Amino acid sequence: MNRFLFTCLIASCVTATAGETFPPASVRFADSNASETPDFQRHVSPLLGRLGCNGRACHGSFQGQGGFQLSLFGYDFQKDHKAIRSRINVTKPDESLLLQKPTKVVEHEGGRRLTAESWQHRLLERWIAAGARIASTAQLKSLEVEPSEIVFARPGFSQPFRVTAHWQDGSVEDVTCLCRIESRDDSIAAVDASGHIKATGRGDTHIVVSYDNGVIALPVLIPTTDRTGDAYPQVTARTEVDRLVVAKLRRLGIVPSAVCSDEDFLRRVSIDLTGTLPTPSEVLAFLADDSADKRDRLIEQLLKSPAYAAWWANRLCDMTGNNPFRQQDGRIGHELARQWYAWIYRRVADNTPFDELVAGIVLATSRSDDQDYADYAKQMSSYLREEDPADFAKRPTMPHYWTRRTVEKPEDRALAFAHSFLGVRLQCAQCHKHPYDRWTQSDFQQFTKLFAAFDYGIRDSAKGDFERLLKSTGQPLNGNQRGQVTQEAAALAAEGRTVGWREFYFNEARSPHGTTDVLGTRVDIPRGSDPRTAVMQWMRERDNPYFARAFVNRVWANYFHVGLIDPVDDLNLANPPSNRPLLDHLSRGFVDSGYDMKWLHREITRSDTYQRDWRPNETNARDRRHYSRAIPRRLPAEVIYDALKQVTAADADLVQVRERLDRRAIGHLATRMAGTYTQRVFGQPERLVACDCERNNTPSLLQSIFLQNDPLIHARLADAGWLKQIATADSPDERQLIRDAYLRTVSRLPSEKEAKRAQEYLTESASITEGLRDLLWSLINSKEFILNH
Amino acid sequence: MTQLTRRTVLKAGVLGAGLSLSQLLRLQAADPSQQDAGRSAILICLKGGPSHQDSFDLKPNAPSEYRGEFRPIATQATGVEICEHMPQLAQRADRFSIIRGLTHNLADHGIGMRYVVTGNRPIPTLKFPSFGAVASRTLPAAEDVPTHVAIDEDLEGPGYLGTQYGALATGEKPRANRPFSVRGITLSDGLSIDGFNRRRKLADDVDNLFAQYEGLDEEVRGLDRFSQQAHNIIGSPRTRQAFELSQESKTVVDRFGTGETGQSLLLACRLIEAGVRFVTVIVDGWDTHKDNFKEMRGTLLPEFDLGYSALLDRLQDRGRLSSTVVLASGEFGRTPKVNGGAGRDHWARASVALLAGGEIQGGRAVGASDDKAAEPAGDGYSPDDLAATFYDHIGIDPSREFRTASGRPVMLVRNGTVIGGV
Repeated sequence: MNRFLFTCLIASCVTATAGETFPPASVRFADSNASETPDFQRHVSPLLGRLGCNGRACHGSFQGQGGFQLSLFGYDFQKDHKAIRSRINVTKPDESLLLQKPTKVVEHEGGRRLTAESWQHRLLERWIAAGARIASTAQLKSLEVEPSEIVFARPGFSQPFRVTAHWQDGSVEDVTCLCRIESRDDSIAAVDASGHIKATGRGDTHIVVSYDNGVIALPVLIPTTDRTGDAYPQVTARTEVDRLVVAKLRRLGIVPSAVCSDEDFLRRVSIDLTGTLPTPSEVLAFLADDSADKRDRLIEQLLKSPAYAAWWANRLCDMTGNNPFRQQDGRIGHELARQWYAWIYRRVADNTPFDELVAGIVLATSRSDDQDYADYAKQMSSYLREEDPADFAKRPTMPHYWTRRTVEKPEDRALAFAHSFLGVRLQCAQCHKHPYDRWTQSDFQQFTKLFAAFDYGIRDSAKGDFERLLKSTGQPLNGNQRGQVTQEAAALAAEGRTVGWREFYFNEARSPHGTTDVLGTRVDIPRGSDPRTAVMQWMRERDNPYFARAFVNRVWANYFHVGLIDPVDDLNLANPPSNRPLLDHLSRGFVDSGYDMKWLHREITRSDTYQRDWRPNETNARDRRHYSRAIPRRLPAEVIYDALKQVTAADADLVQVRERLDRRAIGHLATRMAGTYTQRVFGQPERLVACDCERNNTPSLLQSIFLQNDPLIHARLADAGWLKQIATADSPDERQLIRDAYLRTVSRLPSEKEAKRAQEYLTESASITEGLRDLLWSLINSKEFILNH
Repeated sequence: MTQLTRRTVLKAGVLGAGLSLSQLLRLQAADPSQQDAGRSAILICLKGGPSHQDSFDLKPNAPSEYRGEFRPIATQATGVEICEHMPQLAQRADRFSIIRGLTHNLADHGIGMRYVVTGNRPIPTLKFPSFGAVASRTLPAAEDVPTHVAIDEDLEGPGYLGTQYGALATGEKPRANRPFSVRGITLSDGLSIDGFNRRRKLADDVDNLFAQYEGLDEEVRGLDRFSQQAHNIIGSPRTRQAFELSQESKTVVDRFGTGETGQSLLLACRLIEAGVRFVTVIVDGWDTHKDNFKEMRGTLLPEFDLGYSALLDRLQDRGRLSSTVVLASGEFGRTPKVNGGAGRDHWARASVALLAGGEIQGGRAVGASDDKAAEPAGDGYSPDDLAATFYDHIGIDPSREFRTASGRPVMLVRNGTVIGGV
């Protein structure tokens, strides 16, 4: 290229106008005469990222490497510039360690990263020679990639792509050669040596492109069979969910499995919606019903049941971290946990709009502005009263979320909040730029400030009343126990006395105000107003990228073995949904329904997509992300605990075993049972950390040992009301009992062959109850029981 | 299905990449040589926080309100003194090393112990795995033996590694002359192994829904595999026998001590001999807010002296000491000054730990506390350092990375440095 012309090009870079796109650095610095001065933020820093220098295993490590430390994944330009400055020689650029190390002129543990005559080398050298300066930080407006999607006919094909950076000052540059590029799944698509995207297998995945604080996930799809487009069979799509799922399947060449049997549907939807197994009579009645709308009617019936409210109240307690051992008033932790659960339970049962429910938690303080302290203390005490306790669930707000020991610090509040209500993990940005999202430490700090102006203690204005109460009840006045509701105080409250309570309150004096940034959106916080109000308003905006989506995604994951975005609490730019139109449809529909939770459950469970058989056909055996068949899922810990009681209960007790929610692990007992041996073995979340991964539904050795030989299993069988009822019956009908054993556990009738095998076993057994006990044991130990299929 | 090659296995190991359940299943099926009979470890949790200045870090020259009632005695190891109430250990002081000046600032039982048994200061966003869980992940045992047994409970659990690496917890502690049943292993009254096997045959016939689709989903494969392994363990003579303390002679039982401490340590030896890779033993009672000296002199120190010395002897006699690393530690130490009730309260600024076995040389006392046993002299060692040292001696690289369920890479011990000279 003509040198003069090139210089002109570069010169115009500084004053570039919109529309012009600068060619890639790999072209501009290909010529040994290139004289452009690269920019630190736009060129040098991304190049170091591209070369891997600021990776975790290299100089991005928090200890640095070989005495040289860069910020992890870049973006702390000042710090990185300073670190680099000590490794360059402006007068003799060639002698800079920055060049000598990666070219291995000087020994480099990280190996050779650069060759001497390369454009990369030249870029760094020119920057050093020009004084190794850093300009003030520029704002990236957007990052764009062309094409916006790639579809390959089959493995082996490859295609180039182009990434352009659009800066706030109007300049546009081709930065393909400066991006960090990663495939979400190398076995489907990868980037080859020439920088092209190559199909390495079949299926769909994303290529993640990062530059500056921009991140783009580029979809790549390679059909898994040749049955795509016109060759795709006729598949009925009954609902909008089905239509969107089948649209994706059609592109992939995957044909969905048939709709499942009535038995499978009844069991599946009962577990998923209410955490409860159907009873034998429910199974028989459902099978006998031949009306066309019986599945829809069943869904309605389940949505009305108290078990629905209990199961989903507990799922919301999972999300919000309701743990009795984490309250600052630890002595009454169980009471507070019960109140927390009851507050949510009431709202789920009433089908309160989800945004309203969340606002009741988000905006909570211990007392409202118009309530005086004396009244507040009286009210809080009245919830502990033994005789005719006041109803905590009637309170408009639920402050216990904020009074946990785990969220005493503003940064922990920010992390917990982002997890609970936005499904976003900000932990990364606490210490370095998020590797897969645009969040920087500064974003994290701004977000944290929103939660800084709150205290759990006592307002100055209430100090007198507070201390008088403490003295009258003997609660500690001083030290870090000050104001704790002790066991003695709780006992007084149970008798009807008013005791002292600390309160969670907004401290105006420390509050930020003015315009601030909430995860990428500018919001205005009026002076003296609780910043959480502005956050809640932002969450309720129709196109908020997180609030409704995070919940919809978690609900979806309850019905399938993965979320549309998975992990469910990791909404980030590099973790796109497996079916974006579907997530869009459900989120928009959810918002438009007025955040109606039942609408969402209906929309999902009524679809054929939810009602698919788990048995595969020749096209979908390997599909686990596109919902072409049901994937068997291990029952949740709480459901197992309750089911073991139910399957062994006497006929006469079946109703109350299911309906006494105060004795059920899916109900009131959940917070008490978390952390017990059984619940740990089966992975019930203890709600100790802000991560949905606390719930673990993976099979394990201990679970199998438990089901085969744990004392609890033996006790359930030894005390089984059902077996006792049989032992005292006059002439038990063995065929009927074998049928019942199957109906109780796997919610279906046994086949002829199965009935015969069981009959043989009963005949060989010492007694009919012993035989049936073993049959129940065998059924409990079958995959069919422990899996929701 | 692609077979995982040896190389992929090594690569996975080196990168410390998270293994999904299906990968784990494939790996174990493909590479039984992983299950070498080599290294094992025992963690003795002195729960409650033992008084360091009345056991292994005495300060005879401190003012009387600090130094307490006990005198130090000389030991087999030159220059190393311990409390007079542990004569057996004094004779064997060449076989274990004392780490003094251990320090942190979490003087609460729960989070203090969590810190010590994970080597990571607890944070609200991530649950770290206990030593035993990490061992379960990295040192799988044979098919019919559990990898990690906790007597009687695992204090912290598998954290981010996932429930599949949880401990088999016995649920109770053994004691001489008292029946001992192990949760999940002991068969209940009236059920014999034959009865169990007969029932199991019925179960095999009942469990047929997924016939022909066994390979389809990892959930189904995992259940099949674990169910078979559970059956192997429950039916395994060597696992059952390992738990049968009644097979030991009265001499041996007495040598360890007939209480829970001695018998738990005896059980730990038997389990290691049977091929269990990691045993967690909880020794309770060290939270001596009142009557510290009476409790220590009366039961705590004599029982520990007897049991721990017997454990060292037994491992040595059976040729297991060189392959079994033994760590004993509480969650913290106790207050330098004796309180009004002749007790000592929680104190995390200084405590002690013991290391033995493997390549621990023994006979050393590294680190030190100040003249009142109140603060470390110098920087001291953190629980992170202790964990790094323990892992290093078991042969697990403390800087190894694991991936959490969400794919986040986490270094096993993030802030620890291996303590030298032990």
